[in-house]
Amino acid sequence: MLSRYRTKGRHSREGGNPEKNWIPGQARNDTHDMRHLVMGIAWLLLFTFYFSLSTVSAAADPPKRIISLAPNMTEVLFALGLGDRIVGVTSFCDYPPEAKKKPRIGGMSNPSLEAVVRLKPDIVVMTTDGNPKEFEERLKSMGIRTFVSTARRLSDLPEGVRDLGAALGVKKKADEFADNFEKALVKARARQSHSGAHRKKVLFIVWPDPLIVAGPDTVIDDALTLIGAENIASDAKTEYPKYSVEEVLRRSPDLIIIGRGMDSGDVKKVSAGLLRRLGSLPAVKQNRVFFVGDGLFRLGPRTLKGIAEISPLMDGQ
Amino acid sequence: MKTRFAALVIIFSAVVAVSLFLGPTPINPFLPDETSREILTSIRAPRIAVAVLMGMALGASGAVLQGILRNPLADPYILGISSGASLTAAIGIIGGVTVLGTFTIPAFAFAGAIITGGIVGIMGWKRGGLWPERLLLAGVGLSFLFSALLMLIMSISRDEGIRRAMLWIFGDLSMSDWERVPYGAVLVFGGIALSLWRAKALNALILGDEFAHSLGFAPQTERVLLFVSVGLMTAASVSLGGMIGFIGLLMPHIARFFTGSDNRLLVPASALGGGALLCVADLIARTALPPMELPAGIITAIIGAPYFLYLLRRKDVLSI
Repeated sequence: MLSRYRTKGRHSREGGNPEKNWIPGQARNDTHDMRHLVMGIAWLLLFTFYFSLSTVSAAADPPKRIISLAPNMTEVLFALGLGDRIVGVTSFCDYPPEAKKKPRIGGMSNPSLEAVVRLKPDIVVMTTDGNPKEFEERLKSMGIRTFVSTARRLSDLPEGVRDLGAALGVKKKADEFADNFEKALVKARARQSHSGAHRKKVLFIVWPDPLIVAGPDTVIDDALTLIGAENIASDAKTEYPKYSVEEVLRRSPDLIIIGRGMDSGDVKKVSAGLLRRLGSLPAVKQNRVFFVGDGLFRLGPRTLKGIAEISPLMDGQ
Repeated sequence: MKTRFAALVIIFSAVVAVSLFLGPTPINPFLPDETSREILTSIRAPRIAVAVLMGMALGASGAVLQGILRNPLADPYILGISSGASLTAAIGIIGGVTVLGTFTIPAFAFAGAIITGGIVGIMGWKRGGLWPERLLLAGVGLSFLFSALLMLIMSISRDEGIRRAMLWIFGDLSMSDWERVPYGAVLVFGGIALSLWRAKALNALILGDEFAHSLGFAPQTERVLLFVSVGLMTAASVSLGGMIGFIGLLMPHIARFFTGSDNRLLVPASALGGGALLCVADLIARTALPPMELPAGIITAIIGAPYFLYLLRRKDVLSI
């Protein structure tokens, strides 16, 4: 349509006097085209106006009601000072203690859609590490904004937090958090290169019975690598494999680290049987079995504490 | 008989209505606010529609299958259809396939169910017809094979897919969407219509092939038609929301206590009963421990089994 219009324009210029080329009907066509063009431009303007309006309002109005569908994201949100804007969390969100007082919307893999909608969130913060994709799609189809964190590895977190901060209107605080996190990682690495010595072989047990250990592509594996240790299960096929006790004996780790979750005080008792079976290992005989907190179980602000906790363990002989 | 059936229809409608407005927070049907309206139309209503369709499909296909296999222990899952569906669905979930968006997993499950149904049909086919014992044994054999493969895949795969797959295997209605309702409705009502149309033949088949033949029915043709209707209904139900136990096996028996063995009444009664039961089970599943959602399949058996045992003790019926 546009090209036809142009041709016609050129034609009339060449023809000099437009009156001469005047044919009944063509004029009507001309105005017709004109009207379409005007309509098109008006439409475009309307759109631009609408979008500029919506982006402006979004920038001026950061999300006030936030729902977090992942424990680690809840911790990040609190760390960014957004605690009072959180209106809903999962039943796994137990840190910081204030998080326990927030309304619950169900589990991570099966949050209740109804509960989420009822809380009228401005944004729902999710993770690809545990939240179903269908849930995100359902929320989107109902016009609810989502922020999906794809950070799953140690080095992903700072960037993820920066993006989150931008989406939630706390860019400055998020940048600060990310910078500090990055600095802490560099420091942990530096410490390792000074301590020298040989790489310690480590087995990180997530749960002793059945034996579940931290495999490759996990935050724990990243942390071990960062502090210069070698994860003996890093060649496993899955992230948290059910591991063969035989293989632990064969690979003989220099030290064994057992993580304990928040509310599992009995992990020591549960590990007794496993440690008995591993009794012939030098690590067990020489008492190089350590229990640590759950800092490394979640990729969030406490991950640094988790690294600080295991880092000194590498210093012994 | 007619009044009992009418009572069943009324109970069914009441259950559907009640479960629409009850939930973690009850909704006042006369004064819904905006959020409630949204919850009602885009979360609860599709969920109830899916529950009803699944329950109906399982109840009706259970009744038909017990008839064509002449076995009171037959249920739609015994043919391995659900194991096949779970296997392909789990492959889809764990493999992270998303070609068809939210429709991917139902499509995978449906394909798995139809393929399994086809294999069972081929296995059960000998000398120009389907034989009940062959179907049953082929189904049980395939079912073991597919369950084992499923367990194998789950034990060697990564963490998050498994959680999702587990939910799906235990029956999960929480993600039900309007998107799935139309195709589900077509298949389920199509299956029910087909089995109602052949209900008289099914009555005859229960009495034996010779008897059916002497009544003017071609036993093998009827069996194939009925088998196809069972396959369609089961495949639709598994692909709508995973596996829900109990209904397919025991709802026909519960219905039989009330309507007798005439399949013209038994099939629709099992369908209505199954739909109502799953609807209630899902209502309890989402209301009992809010905001946690329990798998509806567990609730169906918990509320259904005691009632079945009570009826079994009270009613004087010896056979199907």
